[in-house]
Amino acid sequence: MTISGPAGAPTLQPQLRRTALRGLAGMDRLATVGAVLLAVIVLAALLAPLIAPYPDDGGSATHPLEALLPPSGAHWFGTDQVGRDVLSRVLYGARTSLLIAVAVLVIAGVVGVVLGVVAGYAGGWVRDVIMRVTDVFLAFPALLLSLALAVVLQPSVTTVIVAISVTWWPWYARLTASVAASVSTRGFVDSARCLGVPAPVIVFRHVLPNSLTPVLVQLSLDGGGVILTAAALSYLGLGAHEPTSEWGLMVQQGQSLFTTDWWVVTCPGVAILITAFAFNVLGEGLRARLAR
Amino acid sequence: MRWHKRLLAAGAVAVVALTSACGGGKVRGAEDSPQPGTSQSAADATFTYVPNLDVVTDWDPASSYSNEIIAMENVYESLTRYNPQTKKAEPRLATSWTSSPDGKEWTFTLRPGVQFHTGKPVDAAAVKASIERTIKVGQGAAYIWGAVDTIEAKDATTVVFKLKYPTALDLVASAGYASYIYDTTAATGDLGKWFNEGHDAGSGPYTIDSWQKGQETELTLKKFDGYWGGWSGQHYSKIAFRVTPELTTAWQLLQRGEVSFVQRLNSQLFQQASGTANVQTSQTPSFQNLLALFNTESGPLKDVRLRQAVQKAIDYDGLVAALKGAGEQASGLVPDGLLGFTAGQAPKQDLPGAEALLKEAGYGPGGKPLDLTLTYAQGDSDQEVLVTLLTSALDKLNVKLTAKPLQWTTQWDQGKSKDTSKRQDIFVMYWYPDYADAYSWFVNVFRSADPISFNLSYMKNDGIDKEIDKLPELTAIDKAGAEQAYADLQTKIIGEQAAVAVPYVQNYQRAYAKSVQGYADNPAYPNVVFVYDLKPGA
Repeated sequence: MTISGPAGAPTLQPQLRRTALRGLAGMDRLATVGAVLLAVIVLAALLAPLIAPYPDDGGSATHPLEALLPPSGAHWFGTDQVGRDVLSRVLYGARTSLLIAVAVLVIAGVVGVVLGVVAGYAGGWVRDVIMRVTDVFLAFPALLLSLALAVVLQPSVTTVIVAISVTWWPWYARLTASVAASVSTRGFVDSARCLGVPAPVIVFRHVLPNSLTPVLVQLSLDGGGVILTAAALSYLGLGAHEPTSEWGLMVQQGQSLFTTDWWVVTCPGVAILITAFAFNVLGEGLRARLAR
Repeated sequence: MRWHKRLLAAGAVAVVALTSACGGGKVRGAEDSPQPGTSQSAADATFTYVPNLDVVTDWDPASSYSNEIIAMENVYESLTRYNPQTKKAEPRLATSWTSSPDGKEWTFTLRPGVQFHTGKPVDAAAVKASIERTIKVGQGAAYIWGAVDTIEAKDATTVVFKLKYPTALDLVASAGYASYIYDTTAATGDLGKWFNEGHDAGSGPYTIDSWQKGQETELTLKKFDGYWGGWSGQHYSKIAFRVTPELTTAWQLLQRGEVSFVQRLNSQLFQQASGTANVQTSQTPSFQNLLALFNTESGPLKDVRLRQAVQKAIDYDGLVAALKGAGEQASGLVPDGLLGFTAGQAPKQDLPGAEALLKEAGYGPGGKPLDLTLTYAQGDSDQEVLVTLLTSALDKLNVKLTAKPLQWTTQWDQGKSKDTSKRQDIFVMYWYPDYADAYSWFVNVFRSADPISFNLSYMKNDGIDKEIDKLPELTAIDKAGAEQAYADLQTKIIGEQAAVAVPYVQNYQRAYAKSVQGYADNPAYPNVVFVYDLKPGA
């Protein structure tokens, strides 16, 4: 990609502009890396039953006589405390982590965007009520609130999805509300209103589509955060539980073995790292591109 | 871990006393504390013990019932000490003893010329006074003296115990808790408070030097010059307890030669230690086994078929293989080495059998789904292996097991909950006896109890209760009869009632410096190192 400015472009602060463009171009390459990584992870998750060397180990099979074998040709990532193939469990774990990420982003995204766009368009007391509720949720540190919810509910993947969604939607609500408020003052919205278009139609046909862009960027950025939070909850025993393959749970179970059987904790740890990284750079790249 | 249990059982009073007594966190002699290490000359050699949990919760020898046993056994002495080789009690403060033919009168002859750290003599009157105080305080393991009717100090070195029913009092007197002989006149005011300020009144080879609650080197002991065994020959003159929760850190300290003894390593680190030049290791079968107690009173496991199905779902062989030496196959409820052990009763996994039982009850593959809850000790990687194996096995049988790792207080409180719907279906915990006798498993864990204490299978069975009550007497006067009674009870509790599964018996895996000479694990005193018996080497 070239970074030379188009002919006739403003010449004010040319140095600053060049620097920014260089940054954006770099970000795009990184975004591509993120997108490719994420595609690989999604494919691995979808094809886990086909590509996992020991598919049963992703579920309830155990082989205690083969416990804690180091990485080898038979077990590329070694085996865990009860003899399960770590590679197979990492692949199946990708399914759990991505399922949680997608579910949380959809639930929190839908709830947050709908409330946000209503608040932004309606203004007045409606906006005040929705935003104060949002403030209450935002006042709690997200992880702490997720933890509290997860403790109250039974530990499971569903619990993790619910607990994180509850703490995640206010961000989208707030973001959407501010964008929707500014969109609502635009001429085309005024025109629709003057023509007598019903408010719900204005909100969902005119305001919503024009308020989505920043939320979509934020959603892609947050994928990594959701996966990290889910892993944290499972690590603390509040999320997925045996025999489900889940990266946070695998890290928790392997942590005491780090100095002697490093592969049990390192492999799922690296999987979390790569996935969170992929989401982040993809999100950053999208943000940069849309900001242009 | 059971130390938590002891901590609670010791009573909140002691904890409150501790808290108030050591608000500043510092007691006496701290300035003179030796630095941990093993490199001193033999004359002032320090034995540095690395526990992974805090050492002292209660200094009162009457009520102490927790992790401080590792210090107390070096500060206090009992009348006898259990020898795991001979499986008998051997002399300690008492040099000999006899019992009447009916086992209801025991006469102990005391070692002459022994004195407490307070300077007062350890005579028959002191023995009578300390055991009577322990019984009166009535906390911790005081129940071990339940058979005692009267104690008489016949002369300075002769104590006569008259019992309500026959009991092996020489074994009772060797208990790791509640058997300490101490100077009850050491303080003028509240003796319990005085103890918990960090004082001792024992007769053992070491006395408290400094105690700084919450510090890494929490406690140091120094030699008691007037010890009856004398200090000729090579002995450690000081003991330091350096609390190190992280097993990896403990292992690194030992490798660097900064400490003498590590109480617990995981099996992987233990294997590494076995091949390390300046380190010795010891693996000893313990009297500590893991119990999976099934809720016989409420919830789905009220159905004995389902309890039997869960028993059969446990992969006992696989578990022991995965523990890599940290545990071994259990055979019955009583570990090998104790009267009541039944050989040839090692359970095996039987998934078809489990499936048949589940199906009979309407569950299993193709039947109704069954949801069970299990609680176990947070941070215990051995219990975690059990949980993983059991969850996976039950998953194949359409049984969803939700396992919660909990802190002991939470786990226990939930288990004791008055609201039966709040209780778990399976309660996992360790158990070991208070003295080298199997009675503790039966009277504490399986005898009816209201309110619930450790009877966490909630079993209420009059017939079993009556048989349990006969055990002490049988043990004292009819060993063969006691063996049979223990075997029958285990058949009923594990087989017929299916109130419990015993996944494994723990092995103690210790690692200690090459310079330490003469160490032998004594399973009757969990985690205790009798430091006076060791020789500091180069």
